[in-house]
Amino acid sequence: MRVVIAEDNVLLSTGLELLLGRAGFRVAAVADDAAGFLTAVREHRPDVTIVDVRLPPSFRDEGIRAALRARREHPGLPVLVLSQYVEQQYAAELLATSGGGVGYLLKDRVSRVDQFVDALRRVADGGTAMDPEVIAQLVHRAGDPIAALTPREREVLGLMAQGHDNNAIGRQLVITDNAVHKHIGNIFAKLGLAVSDSGHRRVLAVLAYLNAPRSTGGH
Amino acid sequence: MRTWRTGVYLLGSLLSGVATVTALPLLGVPRLARLWAGWHRDRAEKLLGTPPPAGSATGRPGGRTSRALLWLPVHALTGLTLGLAALLCVGNIVVAVIATPLWWAFDPRSRPRLVVDVPVPDWTTALTLGPAQILVLGAVAYLAFPPMARAHARICLAVVSPLPTDEQLAARVAVLTRTRADVLDAHGAELRRIERDLHDGTQARLVAIAMRLAVARQAFADRTRDDQLVEDLLRDAHEGTEEAMTELREVIRTVYPPILADRGLDGALTAVTSRCGVPTRLDIGDLGRVPAAAEATVYFAVAEALTNVAKHSQATSASVRVGRAAGRLSVVITDDGTGGADERRGTGLAGIRRRVLALDGVVDVDSPAGGPTAVTVELPCGW
Repeated sequence: MRVVIAEDNVLLSTGLELLLGRAGFRVAAVADDAAGFLTAVREHRPDVTIVDVRLPPSFRDEGIRAALRARREHPGLPVLVLSQYVEQQYAAELLATSGGGVGYLLKDRVSRVDQFVDALRRVADGGTAMDPEVIAQLVHRAGDPIAALTPREREVLGLMAQGHDNNAIGRQLVITDNAVHKHIGNIFAKLGLAVSDSGHRRVLAVLAYLNAPRSTGGH
Repeated sequence: MRTWRTGVYLLGSLLSGVATVTALPLLGVPRLARLWAGWHRDRAEKLLGTPPPAGSATGRPGGRTSRALLWLPVHALTGLTLGLAALLCVGNIVVAVIATPLWWAFDPRSRPRLVVDVPVPDWTTALTLGPAQILVLGAVAYLAFPPMARAHARICLAVVSPLPTDEQLAARVAVLTRTRADVLDAHGAELRRIERDLHDGTQARLVAIAMRLAVARQAFADRTRDDQLVEDLLRDAHEGTEEAMTELREVIRTVYPPILADRGLDGALTAVTSRCGVPTRLDIGDLGRVPAAAEATVYFAVAEALTNVAKHSQATSASVRVGRAAGRLSVVITDDGTGGADERRGTGLAGIRRRVLALDGVVDVDSPAGGPTAVTVELPCGW
């Protein structure tokens, strides 16, 4: 699988190359700014891209903007955005682009190599990888209906929102597929959401629910 | 009423302008000049509705002699010009009011003239031109008198407003000296907090990680290698780096939120209001350039206040207004919740106060039981 990376910090980009090489990816190009990244994407047509939020020259949100632009130019191009901190606004902007294949993770997550590679594969396959911290912030501020979930259901909700499919959720919580299925049914019933398939659409539905402003005073 | 008041002011200015010119030698006496200027200042303040500046009693009446003397030619020019214009307008209204019903009573050779220079020969002319003149000039007076009078009053205040006296300046310096010392203290406390967080948290963790890695290397090189020990040490070190990263991120966030660096105050406030659990309206005025420290403080105040709104207020809507006026940057966070916010109960409001004080600002929390709640933050902006 071919990867294009946009990362200006050489320490981090060489680290990523090392890690991805061992995991069986081929790094086609490493760009150190947004323009270079867009050129590299046009040239190499990678299977997946990894973009740092902060890039030269101003080290603001060039990475996010480059990622959005790349997805406009190449609809469906899988993009995994890495950042030193998570900001829901960025997650929302990435998810608002049409089609699946988006990820948004803290840089810290790279050190859990298996999970990181799993997330990258998920994104490459058109799935979603949302950082647990984005989800935690959303769940944390959510009101009554979330409080009605059991702790286990909340775990399942979190993993769903991160973009995991039923299999992965079952593996991580060490429960059967059947149990996962039951939990998800309960969650959707309690939140009043229509049950959707297990792809990107389900993630969007769950995130949209968590993101929607609502009164803390209940309904 | 407005027209009447400003008309009286303008005609008064004409009279006092004439008086100024005729009595010029007399008004050259400093004491009289100060009294004369003081009288004008009082009526200008009354017209504009500006209260006399606090603590200016010592300077009254009349302020500095040089300013009072400067006022004489300025008033002679502006008072006479604006006053004459007003008199022309009022005078011609009066002429029309008299001429319309009474034109016949005048000698045919000196009949009153309307619309500048039209003599009135009959009732038809009188009843069309008379009311027309009254209407047009009435409209002119209605539209022009207030701005003319205010312009004169502003010029007057600009010339004769007393400069602060030495005592007032000394008092201001004393206040600034004290608040600057407070600001430095608050700033120092903030630096110590950051130092402590880094020293006790991240730095300590890195030391612990380095020690584990060192031991792991030794254990790895041992002839009787304990794989389980090496594995445990590496796992601990790995988890340590993750905890260090989390802590470091938190420290960075409290120093200067990264979203501010990425998107500026506008973007950061948009992000923080859109993730509030309660629907929140954001209204940002023209702020000009805002220093990073003030941006960070505004961001924190809004973020903390909205956290309180979402957690405690039971509100259904909230609003955030940020604006800059009269040398102050003001932030008002309101919600329609149940009120009763208590600064001693949580750390949120106290945290806002600590940061705002460090910039010589003020915080006001208005949260009666039953609501609504308004948190107001004001920062002086001498930038």
